[in-house]
Amino acid sequence: MAETQDWVPLGIDTNVPSMARVYDYILGGAHNFAADREVGSQIEKLVPGLPSVARLNRRFLGRAVNFLMDQGVRQFLDIGSGIPTVANVHEVAQNRDPAARIVYVDKDPVAVAHSELMLSGNENAAIVQADMRDPEAVLAHAEVRRLLDFDRPIGLLMLLMLHWVPDEDDPRKLVAAYRDALPAGSFIVMTHVAKDQIDESVDKAAEVVNRSKSADQMHMRTHAQVSALFDGFDLVEPGLVGCGEWRPDGPGDIADEASMNMFLYAGVGRKD
Amino acid sequence: MTNPNRRPDAAPPPDTAAGRAREALARKWSYLLSSVIVVALSRDELDAELSAQLDALCAALHGEPFDSAPFEEAGERLVALGYVNEPGLRRTVDVLGKGLLALEEFHAVDQLPVRVVGGIGALTCGFTIARARVILDQQESMQRSLLKAARDAQRDQRQSEAKFAGIASSSTNGILIVGLDGKLAWGNDSIGDILGHQPEPGTRLVELIAPQSIVVFREMMERVLAERGEFEREPMQLLRDDGEFARVTLTASLLRDDDGKPSHVLVMADDDTELALLQGELRRQSLHDVLTGLPNRQFFTTHLETVLRRADPEFGVTILHLDLDAFGLVCNSLGGRVGEHLLQHVARRLRALTSREQAMVARFDGDEFGIVVENTASTPDIATMMAAINTDLGEPTYVDEHGLAVSVSAGVVHRPSPDIDPTELLRMADLALRQAKKDQRGQWQLFHGNQDTERRRDHALAVVMPGAWEQGDIGVCYRPVRVLATGELAGVEALLHWDLSDRCAELADQTGLILPMGEWLMRIAAGQAQWWRQRGELDAQFGVRLTRHQATDADLVSRVAKVVEETGMPHERLTLCMPVGVLGVADAAENLSTLAARGVAIALEDFGLGPRDLAWLSELPIVSVCVPKDLVRRQDPRSAALVPAVHELGVNICVDGIETAEQAKWWAEAGADLAIGAHFGAPLDAGEFLKNL
Repeated sequence: MAETQDWVPLGIDTNVPSMARVYDYILGGAHNFAADREVGSQIEKLVPGLPSVARLNRRFLGRAVNFLMDQGVRQFLDIGSGIPTVANVHEVAQNRDPAARIVYVDKDPVAVAHSELMLSGNENAAIVQADMRDPEAVLAHAEVRRLLDFDRPIGLLMLLMLHWVPDEDDPRKLVAAYRDALPAGSFIVMTHVAKDQIDESVDKAAEVVNRSKSADQMHMRTHAQVSALFDGFDLVEPGLVGCGEWRPDGPGDIADEASMNMFLYAGVGRKD
Repeated sequence: MTNPNRRPDAAPPPDTAAGRAREALARKWSYLLSSVIVVALSRDELDAELSAQLDALCAALHGEPFDSAPFEEAGERLVALGYVNEPGLRRTVDVLGKGLLALEEFHAVDQLPVRVVGGIGALTCGFTIARARVILDQQESMQRSLLKAARDAQRDQRQSEAKFAGIASSSTNGILIVGLDGKLAWGNDSIGDILGHQPEPGTRLVELIAPQSIVVFREMMERVLAERGEFEREPMQLLRDDGEFARVTLTASLLRDDDGKPSHVLVMADDDTELALLQGELRRQSLHDVLTGLPNRQFFTTHLETVLRRADPEFGVTILHLDLDAFGLVCNSLGGRVGEHLLQHVARRLRALTSREQAMVARFDGDEFGIVVENTASTPDIATMMAAINTDLGEPTYVDEHGLAVSVSAGVVHRPSPDIDPTELLRMADLALRQAKKDQRGQWQLFHGNQDTERRRDHALAVVMPGAWEQGDIGVCYRPVRVLATGELAGVEALLHWDLSDRCAELADQTGLILPMGEWLMRIAAGQAQWWRQRGELDAQFGVRLTRHQATDADLVSRVAKVVEETGMPHERLTLCMPVGVLGVADAAENLSTLAARGVAIALEDFGLGPRDLAWLSELPIVSVCVPKDLVRRQDPRSAALVPAVHELGVNICVDGIETAEQAKWWAEAGADLAIGAHFGAPLDAGEFLKNL
């Protein structure tokens, strides 16, 4: 019996949280497991306003997708999409135009499986399991090629994503690889944990994440460092700003606690 | 305006002061919510949604009498919007609690604060119930995702090892790989946490399952191996090494090797213990059943008190205690989840079916529901109501692609006295339900005082029986067993006699008194038989019937041996008659074989009712079988059809309770051998019996 079990690794370390599910937990969902909730509540203790940050990020996503729709974009590539829950890209975009096409990309197998179950029956949306650090694999993937037309503008979304990529992996080069594949008139939408705007409690939160057994490690960046990631894109008004400050549209777009509005940098750039 | 029952339109004209005040309140609500919730609605859509909800709540507050149901629905709708969690509820309670009390339009409403408090309470209740359900759904969707990911990883051989590592470690779910022989090949650490110890490879999975879950487990594994679906999922309990049970939901799926042949079963256990505790707590705290959203038994009982008092004395109230027929069958064959969906369906239908009446539908426990109707002149009669319920539920409803139709049985108490205690009322309805379910399904039974009286009388008799026996009020009498064709005497049956009840043995069986009393009966009968034999007055086969308790009594053989020894009666002269239904009990079959080996003639009573009845005849040394009275009286053709088969096995047939010559003739023609009953001689005391022969 044992020799047929070579695909089952023995001695696995249990209790490994996934940041996709931690995010869902902080957002208020139950699409998560005990290990995720534990990390989530540890972070929440250190940064009590964190649910607002998660919520603001989700609100920004909605505004940015609507902005891109206004600009005529009907195709979206969402990298690091996580657990697709309420108010996700396809919900926002297809609500306005059912023909809008969305490809989600994530490397977490559970998030991918969940997305597949949620998207089954939606022929204009798909999920691809891939590591964003392998742009060729992502861009050449059959589902990406099937749904996205690289001759027409595409919205590239990287929300709460690039701070998981260490400098060793050269995030600038990675973004550039995606940018080069996009036609003119395409957009990039990004949020990133801000290093220079926030107090030390966030450092501690990052420490909780980095100490947990999660494979994901957090790398915060300054305004200048995040701006550099937009190389080759023109930032649209109001530029790279606090997440709550990017074209707020209603009371829910801004947090009651001012510091939470600045927790994330948010920006939208256009490729000419 | 003269009719106090008239409800104002949901929305007042927008340009009135009242309309503007409401709109302002809705906006404030929306504004406060928007900074704590995550929903897919735009700002305008959220405004519109909450404004519509507020209109419904205001209409409810104006209504006569006040009905809090729209508030409960509003709570449910809030949850349905998206991620609206406790902060969203807190802000809602805050803004509506103050805001509704302050609205001008309500200044003339009677007892406004009571209504608002009741309404907000209902809203919270609806919210909590819906939220609990959503959490369960989301958790389940994650379990499905985890399982799917594991299967996908397994299919993708290239990366499978790395992927599987990620999945097996990504949660606290127990994951087991089991061989097709049912033995464990591998388990992750989390399964050890659930069980309290790490199961050894080679352990049989079934050894980890609690006894009460074994059947469900077996059936689930059969379905998995037959690959009826992609995976199977059932709640069940595992054995922990501390002797406690762990509540889990097991999800199992068949794995295939490279050649596509089944190789292993992947089993995932998610720990429901905490979930079950949480549900238990919710159930205790609230007056509603979490699964169906209906009031629970506690709420229902309190409500009964109120309606009994306020009901129109001309029409009174009707209480129905309903029970789904064959619900266990649904759960055992299709799983607990299907059962839960079915209960939810039944709950919805019962509510819809009673919507025209002033009625409350509640869920008691398991598959039992209660309805109390405050009757009016237009209330349909009970037969019509029950027919409507059974017709409606008889239409198949689709749960996971299974078209399910159910019937319900009911116990009904019609127009009880308004002074009756609600608990007593529920006991009466329950009793009537047991009567209705006695040997049929889909029936209803009205509570009759005399049924209850009879039962109580039985209890009273059973209690005084030992005293009556001691004082000699219980005696032994005899009646003939005759050859049906010729009328000649084939034997004598000895039986207990008590002036107060003709069901003496049955009552004694209920209390256990039958064990000493039955032995006594045998001793008296054997002594009498020996006496008659020695005096040359009568030399016949003597028979005694054993009850269920006696037949399964571990001391039966030694009791018989003692009687035979004391009286000198030969074993061969004694016939003992056992109910055929007890043969499934090991002790009974063993008793029977031992006694038969010693020469006692064995007969079976109640023959012809069970599917295995014939089979016993070829397996056990049976001399005679006895067809029960009701089948004899009905001249049941199916029992008669059994005669040749019974004869073929060398067993003769006795018909019990022959009352007329016509019955005797019919059964004689059917081929029966022996007969007992009024037509052939009533039970008499020893002296009379002998004289009458």
